[in-house]
Amino acid sequence: MCGIAGRILSASGNVGADLVDLMEAQRHRGADSTGFAVYGPPVDEGYIVRAMGLDRDALSADLESFLEIAREHGSDFLADPTWDNASTKHVSVRMRIKDPKDLGAFTRAADTISARLAVQSVGRSLEIIKDLGGAEDVSQKHNVRDMKGTHGLGHARLATESDVSPTASHPFWARPFADVAIVHNGQITDYFTWRDKLERAGYRFMTGNDSELIAVWISDQMSKGLTKEQALKKSITSIDGVFTYLISDTEGMGFAKDKFAMKPLVTVERNGELAAATEEQAVRKIYQGEVDIINYDGPSMMNSWLVDPVRQAA
Amino acid sequence: MSETVITVGDRHIREVHREIQAAAEQGGHIVLKDARSRHNLGVALPAGANLHFEGSVGYYCGGLNNGATITVERNAGWGVGEAMASGDITVGGYAGMSCGASMLGGVVHVKGDAGPRCGVAMKGGDIIVEGKIGYLSGFMAHAGRIIALGGADDACADSLWGGEVWVAGPIKSLGVDSKAIEPRPDEVASIEELLRSRGINDASRDWKKIVSGEKLWHFESRDANAWLMI
Repeated sequence: MCGIAGRILSASGNVGADLVDLMEAQRHRGADSTGFAVYGPPVDEGYIVRAMGLDRDALSADLESFLEIAREHGSDFLADPTWDNASTKHVSVRMRIKDPKDLGAFTRAADTISARLAVQSVGRSLEIIKDLGGAEDVSQKHNVRDMKGTHGLGHARLATESDVSPTASHPFWARPFADVAIVHNGQITDYFTWRDKLERAGYRFMTGNDSELIAVWISDQMSKGLTKEQALKKSITSIDGVFTYLISDTEGMGFAKDKFAMKPLVTVERNGELAAATEEQAVRKIYQGEVDIINYDGPSMMNSWLVDPVRQAA
Repeated sequence: MSETVITVGDRHIREVHREIQAAAEQGGHIVLKDARSRHNLGVALPAGANLHFEGSVGYYCGGLNNGATITVERNAGWGVGEAMASGDITVGGYAGMSCGASMLGGVVHVKGDAGPRCGVAMKGGDIIVEGKIGYLSGFMAHAGRIIALGGADDACADSLWGGEVWVAGPIKSLGVDSKAIEPRPDEVASIEELLRSRGINDASRDWKKIVSGEKLWHFESRDANAWLMI
């Protein structure tokens, strides 16, 4: 059992606070770890990189190695990296980097030091923050409540298939596609079959978490030219297991659900806003009064929502 | 008759429970306000308790019911009336997944649609759905009746062990080992009588009664392919 959430605001605002509320309300679904994908104001230049250092004491050496790789790919730091000041061994780092010549090649190179410093997201707007514990714990450590933006995802994990670790938490970045993230509720039953196929095709898995497969699978489909919506639709018949997952990018988000219809998703969709969650009581933390709820309860469902549909249509 | 008003809000659910239990012991009508789709409301209540929820409730509302009468103004989440032994639950709107799961007796009456696996593993009692029942409704039910006035989604009555699924309106597809049969007039009369007792007066319909194909009763592994969905 896990809990997922999505939030779109009609204009940039306190999306971090809403995501923390949506996830804290689903804490009972799993508090092994909690993660957030927040789409903040897009940067004018370069990318925002979120990464996790696995040894706080070695951080400066690991950042040195990262910078070396970045420079080899025509990138550089645009500002000094910042990180949390907690006492945990792992450390969450935020970097601002110049565009590398080829984001795919750079990501592959950066992933060679992932045992020391694991890249969690790269985007103009996206920042993935994840850590052990419940929503409030993670929020307090990483100031998620204060994060502004237009939209984002949340995830509360109850580990059923693999290890609990800060890096094996959701959301997962669909590397190397800037600004694309997923969160998943369920279990993927043909994980090893798919992982084997994708590894043969050259993809690298960073964790043993079955949900990471969805991010890698989506990347593969997007590399083949599918849109987010086409990939969502195809996943319903291509991936075996129990799943309701959300995928987001700068334009908005969508979900897909397996043919067994085991994992719920409810939404409130109104006035250019979206609140989506596994449980209705979570979206009603945002909309406390009586409100029209949509239950995506059936089998083999999908849908997608845009940030600011007026602007998108223009 | 006295009326007790209890506000749910964001209070701890245990505190709300204690108030409901105390009010039920005193008797009289209990109105719950501001339920905010919270879970596990009004569970394990005794006969004589009489509750009304304003708005919508979350998971397992009226679960383990022992005879209470419960009404929900709008929607109910997952597992309304789960494992109830007796009593009467009415949902004004939509009932989420696994409505009346494993119930043993009593009535769950849904005025809107019901989600997937309505009446899953039920062992007795009646589920009445004025709208449509979702995917895999009646899955592995053993006894009791599911009565749907607005049709059924895919895999209706899949792996039905016993009991009956009554459907008026289109059935998108039947699940494995279930069969639709023409009901006898006296059986139809008993269904329509039950519906009239619930205030559904135009109960006359073109009913299909779905029962177990009874093949799964004697499962043989060499026949496994017949049961696999994938």
